[in-house]
Amino acid sequence: MWTWFHRLASPPSFYVFAGRLAPWLLGAALVLLAVGAYGGLVLAPPDYQQGDAFRIIYVHVPAAWMSLFAYTVMAVAAFIALVWRLKLAEVAVVAAAPVGASFTALALVSGMLWGKPMWGAWWVWDARLTSELVLLFLYLGVVALNTAIEEPRAAARACSLLAVVGFVNVPIVHYSVVWWNSLHQGSTVFRLGGPTITWNMLWPMLVCMLGFTLFFGYTQLVRMRSELLMRERTTRWVKTLVANA
Amino acid sequence: MMTRRRRRLAAVSVLVLGVGAAAALALTAFNKNITYFYTPTDLYEQHITSHAVMDLGGLVQKGSIVHGAGMEISFIVTDCTRTIPVRYTGVLPDLFRDGQGVVATGRLNGDGSFVASRILAKHDSSYMPENVAARVKQADAEGRRNCGEFKSMQPTSASVAPLVRAEKHG
Amino acid sequence: MTGALWTATWAVFAREFKLALRERAEWMQPLVFYVLVVLMFGLATAPGDPALRTFAPAIIWVGALLAALMGLERMFRADLEDGTLEQLLLAPVPLAPLVAAKILSRWCVSGAPLVVLGPVLAVALGLAGVPISVLVAGLLLGTPTLMLIGAFAAALTVAVPRAGVLLPVLVLPLMAPVVVFGAGAVRAAGQGLPAAAPLYFLAAELVLAAVLIPWAAAAALRNALE
Repeated sequence: MWTWFHRLASPPSFYVFAGRLAPWLLGAALVLLAVGAYGGLVLAPPDYQQGDAFRIIYVHVPAAWMSLFAYTVMAVAAFIALVWRLKLAEVAVVAAAPVGASFTALALVSGMLWGKPMWGAWWVWDARLTSELVLLFLYLGVVALNTAIEEPRAAARACSLLAVVGFVNVPIVHYSVVWWNSLHQGSTVFRLGGPTITWNMLWPMLVCMLGFTLFFGYTQLVRMRSELLMRERTTRWVKTLVANA
Repeated sequence: MMTRRRRRLAAVSVLVLGVGAAAALALTAFNKNITYFYTPTDLYEQHITSHAVMDLGGLVQKGSIVHGAGMEISFIVTDCTRTIPVRYTGVLPDLFRDGQGVVATGRLNGDGSFVASRILAKHDSSYMPENVAARVKQADAEGRRNCGEFKSMQPTSASVAPLVRAEKHG
Repeated sequence: MTGALWTATWAVFAREFKLALRERAEWMQPLVFYVLVVLMFGLATAPGDPALRTFAPAIIWVGALLAALMGLERMFRADLEDGTLEQLLLAPVPLAPLVAAKILSRWCVSGAPLVVLGPVLAVALGLAGVPISVLVAGLLLGTPTLMLIGAFAAALTVAVPRAGVLLPVLVLPLMAPVVVFGAGAVRAAGQGLPAAAPLYFLAAELVLAAVLIPWAAAAALRNALE
């Protein structure tokens, strides 16, 4: 098990392994997203208060979930990169930031589109919205820092430090609706006493969340692969790879 | 001479102490609560009579909505413990209705009422189809279930008791 | 060893303090900048506009934040260029306390004056009703946090040739809570509402930053020099 793990952590074998795994992840993600979209847009009944407008949760909640999940993945990879100096973890940090930023932006935009008709305002400065916006800027900070430092490994480690320090914000985003009075609703799914949503409305959301997660896994593998090629372009395994292609 | 292990121990204890102290301070702050809006209980118990612009959150009390001339409207905001009458003139969000959570921006009037300049609807965290909602509504005629979303500051025993009863009830 | 650590930390603090005081522009400029930025708001609004009072807490805090950004780029760059940073890295004591000493000295020179100027500027903006204690307590708790966060970003970008634009991008999201709670406390106090909660939050952030950031900044400096 450990030897397998060690071998996988070396760039050439990861490159091959990720190349084989990525299409499967993409396929599974697309199937799940299709099922989730059908379940959410067609099968789920309209909400007693919000009618059909509630259906935006099938985009908004998975995107918001991914904004936190991707940051957690990035922060864990960053921690590994700092402590064990694993090249693969450094690549994972750099690869995750732009995708996480996109999910965060999607969560913010879909939330605004939802907030205008339901609350009556595009945006309010309550704790949930503000901390999610800070999360977006933290992602963008990692992206900017990575582009600013020329030496890739030094850049990745600087990004890792920033990602680890910024992780403080993740629990704040999640618990903001518990700790503070906010206009944003409380947690529907991850809460004490179980979800407050009926099953026929909940399952498409869970399917969409899983679909988003697998899609993130797919982008992560593809982006890590290309990042590895770029970083290792002077090594022998990349040269053989290119020569054989 | 300090060994490497002792130095590491010192670093870890500083870290643990610091994070613990930060958590304790943050918890104290949560206890005093920092709010996007005040509930009627907050305004009552903190003896807030400031005429400054502030946000008031709570449920629209069932049957309290009175439409006046034009776009004028008045209703009562409740957090299941205290109530405050609210007056407003303007456009209301689609979700505004009896028993709905609202956040009103405005100021306290001298007569103990609240004059709002903007009303936003705060929907609760539950989603259900109409038929399920009808059953839930029957069991929870006063809408107390929804009061959980409106947390008051430093709840005293007097203000907690009705909420606890309401939870058992719901 | 413990003795050596204290000696080294004190030496770094004293050196930084002396250097900064001799370089008058270094500590004068942020202060002049702070005063000018805040007064510009007074000039830009109509005389006696009541809106200025409403925005005064925000202006005072954003001004303090901008002043804390000034000269940030040079904080470790100068030490990198003249080789001091390498000496600190090679010293037989951990780097984090030395970095903490440097940050503390920077606060004493250009952070503490912001705390003193705050109430004066508050009066200039017509914010007369606010208890000065809340404003001063907020600035006292908030400005060191601003300095700490700024130092972390400066350490991350120490080897980046033109970090001028990058620094605010890195620093502002981390500084946002300080401004939210700092200005929030003043606003609440000005409206006669309780202001203790935001002050406690500022204290929590300060403690967290003081514990984590010297360590993180030291790691960033070591990384940049490798």
